[in-house]
Amino acid sequence: MAQAIGSASQRASGFGSGGLPRNGGSAKGSGSSNRPRMTWKNNLNALVVDNERFSQHVEKGILRNFGVETEAVETGEAAVELIASGATFNLIFIDISLPAMDGPRTAMQIRAMGVQSKIIGLSSSLTEEDEEEFLRAGVDKCIEKPLTTAWLVPVLRELDGQI
Amino acid sequence: MDYVTQLQKQLVDYTASLFHEKFLDEQFNQLQQLQDESNPDFVVEVVSLFFEDSERLLNELGKVLEQQIIDYRKVDAHVHQLKGSSSRFSLGTRFFHGSIGAQRVQSVCITFRNYCEEKNIEGCLKCLQQVKHEYSLVKSKLDTLFKLEKQLVAAGGSIPTYVV
Repeated sequence: MAQAIGSASQRASGFGSGGLPRNGGSAKGSGSSNRPRMTWKNNLNALVVDNERFSQHVEKGILRNFGVETEAVETGEAAVELIASGATFNLIFIDISLPAMDGPRTAMQIRAMGVQSKIIGLSSSLTEEDEEEFLRAGVDKCIEKPLTTAWLVPVLRELDGQI
Repeated sequence: MDYVTQLQKQLVDYTASLFHEKFLDEQFNQLQQLQDESNPDFVVEVVSLFFEDSERLLNELGKVLEQQIIDYRKVDAHVHQLKGSSSRFSLGTRFFHGSIGAQRVQSVCITFRNYCEEKNIEGCLKCLQQVKHEYSLVKSKLDTLFKLEKQLVAAGGSIPTYVV
């Protein structure tokens, strides 16, 4: 049973580290919620390779909300090009189904370039075959979309601790 | 009860019903948490993108099924993607929990894929219709939700947070 717990005030979050006040959009400039929810010892950055627009939007949203500078591209080729130009990322998310060069092939190419960052394979509907193919291609782990804060936070903590 | 309070109550009740009928679930809460001053329209953006993407997918599916010679592998791949993305706004889970008697997107998708294997065009078309119906149902529910929120904000109120 849903109940309102006050308006525009800090919400007691059922999960995660303290919710942000949700505003109607017209209130601007109070400043407090432009800060990310967590800060890290290091500057963490991530690359999202996903051509499903709404999940790309969500992935970027979650990562940025946790203070991770995030870039997003729609194709494997674009990701490879970006990395070839010298960009480095702590964390790379690759969707399994991309136009032209698919997720696993993209992961393989990226690994072949010597990238040792943590790579996570994403899928809308993860099957065992998908997972095996992705892992063979060199990703560290596969998860089914959507990306959740519950999953992400420990991963970011671990990454931050390792740098 | 003043106008703003009235609107607020209307919004809370409506949102409660969407959660209760399992049109929305925890994931929606997560999305709301990502919305703030620097990202004031995040939820509306994500939901719009979701329906745009889904519409495109459903249209592509329709086109593939209209061909003289149907590529059932393509149909299957699209349905696979539909099945995955439909779980995003619990379009699927609401029917796993068997609350409302209407179409069940996730089990429709399973049926859909079976029809693909059997190369049963009529079965596929029927499933496509069912899925389209379900999507338009959810879309209109969410459109109503966003309209209520807009009304509330325009009246000077702020959107309450929901605890389910």
